[in-house]
Amino acid sequence: MKRNIPLAICLLFGIVMMVQFFVPHPASVAFYDLTTKWVRIVGAFALVLGTGSLVLYHVDKLQRRRPGWYYSIVTLAAAAITTVIGLGWGVKPGRPLQDVIFTSFLVPLNASMFAILAFYMASAAYRAFRARTREAALLLVAAFIVMLGMVPIGAAIWGKLPDIAEWVLSVPNMAAKRAILFGVALGGIATALKVILGIERGWLGGGKQ
Amino acid sequence: MKFFESLLKLDRRIIYIVVGLLVMLPLIKPLGLGVSSGPRARALFDAVDALPAGKTVLIAVDFDPSSMPELYPMLVAMMRHAFAKDMKVLLCGLWVTGSGLADQAAQTIPKEYGKEYGKDVVYLGWKPGVDAVILGMGENIKNVYPTDYYGHPLDSLPMMRDVQRLRDIPIVFAISAGTPGYQDWLLYAQSRYGMRVGAGVTAVSAADAYPFLQSGQLTGLLAGMKGGAEYEVLVQKAGYSKAYMPAVAAMDSQSLAHVVIMLLVIIGNVAYFATRKRSS
Repeated sequence: MKRNIPLAICLLFGIVMMVQFFVPHPASVAFYDLTTKWVRIVGAFALVLGTGSLVLYHVDKLQRRRPGWYYSIVTLAAAAITTVIGLGWGVKPGRPLQDVIFTSFLVPLNASMFAILAFYMASAAYRAFRARTREAALLLVAAFIVMLGMVPIGAAIWGKLPDIAEWVLSVPNMAAKRAILFGVALGGIATALKVILGIERGWLGGGKQ
Repeated sequence: MKFFESLLKLDRRIIYIVVGLLVMLPLIKPLGLGVSSGPRARALFDAVDALPAGKTVLIAVDFDPSSMPELYPMLVAMMRHAFAKDMKVLLCGLWVTGSGLADQAAQTIPKEYGKEYGKDVVYLGWKPGVDAVILGMGENIKNVYPTDYYGHPLDSLPMMRDVQRLRDIPIVFAISAGTPGYQDWLLYAQSRYGMRVGAGVTAVSAADAYPFLQSGQLTGLLAGMKGGAEYEVLVQKAGYSKAYMPAVAAMDSQSLAHVVIMLLVIIGNVAYFATRKRSS
């Protein structure tokens, strides 16, 4: 019962929503409007679940003193402080959540994290990017062309570089991306059909019948 | 031999210092390399420029502060373009951490053009449920956002009287740092409601957007800081803005950063092959 009812709901809504997409009747549109509201409500519950899962994971890590447990203190403290400030003073602009937590903490911390990547990338490229094989050499040459062609100094060095970089992106890159996209799309359709038809049941969780 | 071996063991802190200096120096003393606009930025600019005054441009702020240096200049340049052409701007976001950035833009840019909140610009804020949000906006924006980000009922905002659903908006410019992002706008807003979609993406994810550009699904594409710089140049050349161009200013730094990374890769390879040859 615990499995059959969700499977039946999934099958019913999977088929109904597929058919609904092609039916422009007002009743169909109204039904669609209603279901999108349900999705938003379910999404809100997912946020609660996600928060709960995050807290449980870090509390467990702290209790068991797993490697890096002290970072969990930072995570939990940040989550608690943000929640208290948000609930206590509101989330609207001009309140501490926006002016202090977002503007003074989140923005500079996030920007710094991303900025540090440039240093790591330079160091990692120096140590690891080797033309050991023909394929790696080809990748290296393509990377050089695109890296130079995408910045103004490339055009200053040689006027044709941006055009060559554009060709690399528009022809070989796009051919590979298209192949990946088709594969992903077909895989997505196959997985969706398996879920709708009840063949794929991983989303039900691992509990016993 | 020892020289190449020592090169291979180069202290990473030296690399950090070199990269840091080369990124900082052009910010203090610009090289003035200049930025020329490519066809992808031009296509987006032309599409927005061709819209008549009074039309609304929807800008989806789907990024967070980590990609702010790359993507925020695009948001600002697009808003300046729209306001200079007397268009209206509707802001929304699929990333909760981007809500403060859109708020910042909504508070500052309209003032440069004497535009009023509620009449010329509205910021809807963030709602959970990506596809449900876009599809819901396609049917009725007020159903998804009964109030704007600041708590004003949408009915009380004059601009929203003419903007009831996505079909009332000719183009969406989705500035995306990942998922959710422009692909969701293509998937739901374009396929179902026929909206034109332009995208602004980080440089690292630009390659993913090319198939959508060639298929005509994307009206235009701004890729990374270069894309933002290209749009800033287009807006300024058209006489729509004389403001400072942060992306253009940062391009010199990015140029040198790319060059130094390439030089490091070359040096690393030379040292690697020199030591390998001798040892074999």
